[in-house]
Amino acid sequence: MSELTVLQAVRLKGRVSPHDLAAALAEDVTNTVERLVESGLLIESTTLRISPSGRVRLDELLTEERAGIDPSALATAYNDFHSVNTDFKALVTDWQLNRDPAALARMDGVHERVLPIIAAAAAQLPRLDAYRAKLLAALEKIKAGDTAWLTRPLVDSYHTVWFELHEELILASGLTREQAARSGDAQ
Amino acid sequence: MVLLDGSANLPRKILGNKGHGIDAMRRHKLPVPPAFCITTEVGVRYLAEPAKTLATIWDDVLDGMSWLEAETSCTFGRGPHPLLVSVRSGATHSMPGMMDTILDLGMNDAVERALTSASSAEFARDTRRRFNRIYQHIVGTEPGSVPADPHAQLRAAIEAVFASWNSPRAVAYRAHWGLNQSPADRGSTAVVVQAMVFGNHDADSGSGALFSRNPITGANEPFGEWLRCGQGDEVVSGVVDVEPITALRDEQPAVYDELMDAARRLERLGSDVQEIEFTVDDGKLWLLQTRAAEKSAQATARLALQLRREGLIDDTETLGRVTRAHVETLLLPALQPETRLAAPLLAKGMPACPGVVSGKAYTEVDEALNAADRGEEVILVRDHTRPEDVTGMLAAQGIVTEVGGATSHAAVVSRELGRVAVVGCGTGVAAALAGKQITVDGYEGEVREGNLALTAWSEGDTPELRELADIARPISPLRAHTTGEHPTLDDASDAAVRAAMDAGLTDVVSATPLIIMLTALRLAAR
Repeated sequence: MSELTVLQAVRLKGRVSPHDLAAALAEDVTNTVERLVESGLLIESTTLRISPSGRVRLDELLTEERAGIDPSALATAYNDFHSVNTDFKALVTDWQLNRDPAALARMDGVHERVLPIIAAAAAQLPRLDAYRAKLLAALEKIKAGDTAWLTRPLVDSYHTVWFELHEELILASGLTREQAARSGDAQ
Repeated sequence: MVLLDGSANLPRKILGNKGHGIDAMRRHKLPVPPAFCITTEVGVRYLAEPAKTLATIWDDVLDGMSWLEAETSCTFGRGPHPLLVSVRSGATHSMPGMMDTILDLGMNDAVERALTSASSAEFARDTRRRFNRIYQHIVGTEPGSVPADPHAQLRAAIEAVFASWNSPRAVAYRAHWGLNQSPADRGSTAVVVQAMVFGNHDADSGSGALFSRNPITGANEPFGEWLRCGQGDEVVSGVVDVEPITALRDEQPAVYDELMDAARRLERLGSDVQEIEFTVDDGKLWLLQTRAAEKSAQATARLALQLRREGLIDDTETLGRVTRAHVETLLLPALQPETRLAAPLLAKGMPACPGVVSGKAYTEVDEALNAADRGEEVILVRDHTRPEDVTGMLAAQGIVTEVGGATSHAAVVSRELGRVAVVGCGTGVAAALAGKQITVDGYEGEVREGNLALTAWSEGDTPELRELADIARPISPLRAHTTGEHPTLDDASDAAVRAAMDAGLTDVVSATPLIIMLTALRLAAR
């Protein structure tokens, strides 16, 4: 597993156990993690977290990854994401506040709309294709009746994966979260 | 069409809240600009058959306008003294901010020139700008296409106000508060057309909202807001900075005294604390609307006792004002309004997850986590939240963000974690709060300084609840006491209280005697 994928996963999770990290990446990452801890890019205590030098390294790797891409394709993907993001979060809020079954019924539509956006982004950055499978896994659990997988934090629920995808698209489109926030998008 | 000249005397259901209040105030010779009302009955017909209904009533509307002209000695649509009107919704149940209101209607080039001659160019221009903005917003026309014909403006405004009954926000509001009528009686709004008075006229003008007593704490002192040189829609919109009502006392003491006199009269007429909308036009006070004030549970108990002591309401009415739900709210630990209002307000945003918590504000997730590990109570304050902030949110008691609304990622996650959250407090808040001890109020959407303690009222110790119990005891069919040689009744459910009365009990001992007696009184009144 690449250094970039592991560093980015740890950064997005904040603090994460090796077990949860492996689950999130669907792969045994013991060796990569060991190497990153040895070189000081990750800090290991009870959980793993990224070190300041790890953040610098991650930023370099992300910049490298973006070197050959078509920025306008990612800008379009991010733009498309914005409108489905608004609908998804309204759906989530309806569910949280009213436990409205109609909100769950809107999930399929949201999922269908986000798939081509992930595909367009992954055509530029293949690493992002992983979000397709992670969203689908959460959606299947919700459909099997385990609705906690819609919003539960700290596990790869639909909202957790979505929130991370949102962050990835902001970064990939060359915006900082501050810039995205100022334009009202990063909420 | 009904003239609201004090003689209408029709029920609230027909005139709507606003029209009913205006008619009552006119009847008691209070200073209210003349107005007429298109009733809720017309409103129901309008929603079924808009064009036909409007055609049927149009001659009446024109008669109403002629009456307003006669009352004000002004003319609609022309100078030298032009009549401008407001067109307001007036539902039977107040739905604050849900329905549409159009001010300064009857404006065109000729009218603007007449206002310039009669007052000042600045006032004329400002009034026209206000009218154009609100008309375009409510009627939905393109900028620059407001009709010059004042009667066309009036017709479109009446249609828009009637139609706003079925706007999504009004429908959602009625559904939320259970105000939906049966299918046979769909309900509607009345429309009130009232001669304008101008809070934006000059330096001796302004608009405000007054509560005759404090509806939050229940203190017997006036409470409200004053906006010098502004119109009423700005006072309620929250987009401009208003001053406390004491500013009017300092600026125009005679007007303030007249307003206080009017407030006391309206309290006596309505037997309740009033919320009054008013305008001061060139040093003259005008009352636009009055209604019974919405109050906190604390204020409800305190004000019912005050009004009883002053002879405005009797014992039975006093106990009718304070419901079991109020008492139950008061018995739960809460940030008491007087504690809350005494602490400096540091930030205001949108409540995203309810509750009240205190702690030290941290703006960096790692620092927040370390502090939580040391056993500190932590509030995480972020400009906006990123995915990696979630562990920090979990360790925190509460969350405050600068950017983001009620559906933001921060709001979604805080609700899921059960963390009190106030979001969208504005940029710069994180830096301003960093390192401070703060209290986050997820009900009010506020951040206040200090670790504010939550306290509860108790039936044994709180004077207000003891006084209410003392009032209840002589008139309740079941007397409840805190101590004594009587059977114990701790279950305050309707069924248990009913069973006690059916069993012939007259006296019981309970930890919550007031709740028992309020329940008994309600059951007996059925």
